[in-house]
Amino acid sequence: MKKTLFVFASLALAFSLPIQAAGNAEAGKAKSTTCAACHGADGVSSVPSFPKLAGQNRDYLYHSLLAYKSGKRKNPIMAGQVQTLTDADMQDLALYFSKQKGLYLKY
Amino acid sequence: MMKLTTMTLYVSVLMSLAVPVQAAGDPVVGRTKTSMCAGCHGIPGWRTAYPSVYSVPKLGGQHAEYIMAALKGYQSGERSHPSMDAIAGSLSEQDMEDLAAYYASSYSGPAK
Repeated sequence: MKKTLFVFASLALAFSLPIQAAGNAEAGKAKSTTCAACHGADGVSSVPSFPKLAGQNRDYLYHSLLAYKSGKRKNPIMAGQVQTLTDADMQDLALYFSKQKGLYLKY
Repeated sequence: MMKLTTMTLYVSVLMSLAVPVQAAGDPVVGRTKTSMCAGCHGIPGWRTAYPSVYSVPKLGGQHAEYIMAALKGYQSGERSHPSMDAIAGSLSEQDMEDLAAYYASSYSGPAK
């Protein structure tokens, strides 16, 4: 019984950890030059129709890139940009922009 | 006299052109309309549960114009998420303007 409890506790702990910790911010920075043209080198876009990315949630950014790639989310500019990105590229970019300072949680 | 009339006309035309194209939202009014937003966007670490799991985006400091485009996209069906489709569908143009202005601004509500 004790052993079973221990197994359950271990599983519960494993599932409570963040889903994934992939991505490399330095690599993301190197890959972000194209993004910077519209979204700003610091992730703060100067043109208001382009969203700020700085400080945005990393898994939201990753999810958005995936959605553009699959065609679920439609935008002529982004559709073209994501075609050449690999899954690792998207993880790296998402991590890089999420670490910048800008957006914040607002109630 | 004729000259003055012509000048007044020119000035009036120029002034009307200088007015922003769309009526801007009011952040203070927007703050009173966030009850439907805050349950997800106002909670640290909140994640969508369906159809896939990821953190909802931060809205504080985002450009008003982009927030407007996102809301209109959900309303028209161009962009889709179960919760956001329903919420954006219930908002008027003015509601969207006010909410976009609120999240873009540094105003965070009445002093507590």
